[in-house]
Amino acid sequence: MAEQTQVRKYGYNIPISEKTLQVPWEEKVRVIEEVKSDFRFKEYLFGCLNCGVCTASCPSNRFFDYSPREIVQRFLENDIDVLYDMMHEYIWACSQCFTCWIRCPFVNNPGGLVIIMREVAVRNAFEATKDLLKPYGRVLLKVMTTGNQLSADMLQPDFFPDWGPKMLDNMENLRAKRMAIPFDVGKSVKTAWEVSLQTAIEMYQIWRETGIFEMLERLDPNLYNVIMDIVEENEERWEELMEEMEEAEA
Amino acid sequence: MAHKSKSPYLKYPEKEPFPILNKHSHYDHLFEEMYELEEKGEILVFRITEEYRPKYVYTRTGRIKVIPTNKLWHHKSCGQCGNIPGYPASIFWFMNKFGLDYLNEPHQTSCTAWNYHGSGTSNPVALAAVWLRNMHQAWKTGYYPLIHCGTSFGSYKETREQLIFNKELREAVKPILKKLGRLTEDGRIVIPQEIVHYSEWVHAMRDEIAELYEKEGKAKGIDVSNVRVAIHNACHTWKMIADDYPYDPEVYNGQRPAASTAVIKKLGAQVVDYSTWYDCCGFGFRHILTEREFTRSFAIQRKLKVIAEEIKADVIITHDTGCTTTFEKNQWIGKAHGMYYPIAVMSDVMFSALACGAHPFKVVQLYWNCSNYEPLLEKMGITNWRELRKEWEDTVKYIAELEKQGKYDELMEFFKEYDLYEPYSKTSDGFKYRKSATSDLPLFKS
Ligand code: SF4
Ligand code: SF4
Repeated sequence: MAEQTQVRKYGYNIPISEKTLQVPWEEKVRVIEEVKSDFRFKEYLFGCLNCGVCTASCPSNRFFDYSPREIVQRFLENDIDVLYDMMHEYIWACSQCFTCWIRCPFVNNPGGLVIIMREVAVRNAFEATKDLLKPYGRVLLKVMTTGNQLSADMLQPDFFPDWGPKMLDNMENLRAKRMAIPFDVGKSVKTAWEVSLQTAIEMYQIWRETGIFEMLERLDPNLYNVIMDIVEENEERWEELMEEMEEAEA
Repeated sequence: MAHKSKSPYLKYPEKEPFPILNKHSHYDHLFEEMYELEEKGEILVFRITEEYRPKYVYTRTGRIKVIPTNKLWHHKSCGQCGNIPGYPASIFWFMNKFGLDYLNEPHQTSCTAWNYHGSGTSNPVALAAVWLRNMHQAWKTGYYPLIHCGTSFGSYKETREQLIFNKELREAVKPILKKLGRLTEDGRIVIPQEIVHYSEWVHAMRDEIAELYEKEGKAKGIDVSNVRVAIHNACHTWKMIADDYPYDPEVYNGQRPAASTAVIKKLGAQVVDYSTWYDCCGFGFRHILTEREFTRSFAIQRKLKVIAEEIKADVIITHDTGCTTTFEKNQWIGKAHGMYYPIAVMSDVMFSALACGAHPFKVVQLYWNCSNYEPLLEKMGITNWRELRKEWEDTVKYIAELEKQGKYDELMEFFKEYDLYEPYSKTSDGFKYRKSATSDLPLFKS
């Protein structure tokens, strides 16, 4: 009799991937424990009625095979394989709207559980996470080097043909158009407002002290190098400026 | 209400203002903890004193929330400034109109929470450090922080809750702030008494806004009484830390968030209810950039279509960055599937500014808006919008020409007249170092 292998599934029809099954059990337990040891975990997960209110109001559930109820249930069951598998792609469907949080009768926060899982996925530099975040690199570059997440020069119509014809002429004469915004909120093109160098330097210190740069290095070494070039250049500019100021004061 | 607290930061009215949705708020307890930490000398609470001209609103727990209305430190939104510049411009325009004092500094960073929710590439310690760094800067200047972005507001509310209830987080973030020079001289963390979103400011100022409309908007022939409005409340303002956002007996008897709806009603426009009012917009943080099929499918099918078919609204009024962008940018593409539901989209403050007579292009900057806003302008009585648009386009040409010719002094002179807030002249340090993180415009290069 041929051996029958039954692939376990979750969601409507997601088989636990081969990759997940091959990862040593201890490693999967370690990753899930990393999620559970986050100080927010106990604030985000209480009991669960399995009522499905969260899933019924979840926007991502409408278009993806994704359910906040299932995340909560799998944690309560401590289903290591499924949770570990979910951390590769499943959790990235969440829109982070927190409708589940406001509606859950037990005040569970499935969206909050997702953010912890995402953070752990990034920290562990999962291959699937790396691939998934590749197209997001431009935002990461901007936020890590300037503190702003969006700027006028990022909204190139080529990237957004689906936004329609009104987008098309936005980029022409962009600098002049930005200067025609009558407050110092739009004079700059590469940042959302003119961010002082001093502010950017403080941001870099925060990234260093909180392990964000290290996290990025593991996630995308090329992007990390580009970011560090800009960071170091700005830090040099800052040091020079400080020296100039000291001389001027003396 | 019976609850009495020794904390000066926690107050309820004598009588329930409306049927209370949540009588057992864990969140409200934060204001007692905060006071205790202050008493112990661990934190300094940046208090909303009389100089900030406080106004009072209710949250859904019935708590009285204090909203400062003057002497504000503008915590800008990168999504708004980068993509919807008429959003902050309308806020500043009102500040000028009401003769209020405020600071708009380059010494502010984004909250970085959009990135966190989209990509997970940060952590609570970093988020707390960024938040507290900005709050310290505001405190140093003596101006009270007004948060423009809904995500910054939601994230800061949550971070504050985590910080107040978790000693470990305070202990992790304190040494970082010390290195940055972002503690008080006696080593305390600065925490604001209230975290205040601009939409709460608009809500608290709705009488003044309606008065301005009566006086100046109507004098220009503007009339919003026939405008049908669909309200979209932003998830990160009212679903994130749900116990800290205004509710009011005048708005669905305190059973739905009040900000935005209340000001639109005050202006006399018609707020019309629709069945998916509680739904998100589909922004999704990462999704609007890299899962665009989801964002547009959700925006069109769950909101734009429903609003068009159920209530035939003229405009969707928002109070956050992501929702405004999602709704205005994801209409045209619906044509590909025979699902085109054109409708104007803008925030409460932009609509209010238009109603009060602000220039649709110089101030409200509708130029950048991809929605079908022209019929709305007509309906509001702003029938000269074509001339106003031409006026703005001529200004752009003039600026471009001066820049091309390298006439920076002339440009600076021009801006002195044209700008509503002169760059650098009014920052906490006169922008002494005059260097920016990118120095991308020669005009402002040091
Ligand atoms: S709404 Fe809450 S109780 Fe109901 S299934 Fe979801 S997590 Fe469980
Ligand atoms: S936060 Fe995520 S899981 Fe919760 S309702 Fe929104 S999309 Fe669904």
